[in-house]
Amino acid sequence: MAEQSLTERYNYDEFIREKFELGMRFDESPPLGKSAPDFPLWDLDGRETRLSAVCSAHAYTIVEFGSFT
Amino acid sequence: MNQIAGRWDLHGVGSVFLYTHEAHPGEYWPHHTSFEQKLRHARALRDILGVTRPILVDALDGACHLAYGGMPNMTWIIDRSGVPAYKSDWTDSHSVENAIQYFVAAVERRRAGEKLAPFNVERLDLRNADREAFYKGLERNGPKAVREFRAAIG
Repeated sequence: MAEQSLTERYNYDEFIREKFELGMRFDESPPLGKSAPDFPLWDLDGRETRLSAVCSAHAYTIVEFGSFT
Repeated sequence: MNQIAGRWDLHGVGSVFLYTHEAHPGEYWPHHTSFEQKLRHARALRDILGVTRPILVDALDGACHLAYGGMPNMTWIIDRSGVPAYKSDWTDSHSVENAIQYFVAAVERRRAGEKLAPFNVERLDLRNADREAFYKGLERNGPKAVREFRAAIG
């Protein structure tokens, strides 16, 4: 059986523990008070920006991560 | 969370919804297999769920989401220089607004001449645990999403 790519494992097709728990590592997330990693992000028109660019526009930026549910 | 964005934008607070993978893929909103599909789903968040904050889409491999902890519905508050000042492994609007009130007040304290330095605090906040309401949300994704959640969590 072909091994799944990281992208396929991240976008799991069924909500079962061995699939959805893989990426849940909040305890290992960046600490407060130190520069956090920067990433490219895209708006709804597919235009690329960066998390740092979004945050630099405000004193504070609330970033809610989520999906349909 | 949309309302918090509206209340605090004039105080220098930005707010975005960062779209991740589908935590509960179902028949109507299945797991992502292409970035184009992910963008289409993200537009539906605006058009169907009514998210009025700017929506930003993570890469298909979830690089940003995973780096920040990979939980299905986290909230982070990040300052202008890219330093996180708040992070929560779930999202509760009361908790977030409480934190924003504190940070905005701190900006005023500094403006008034008070000398401030950061320190760490831990707190156990509370989030909505209405399971029935959550199942209603899952139904939007499809019966598969409901079935699998019941099987995994109960």
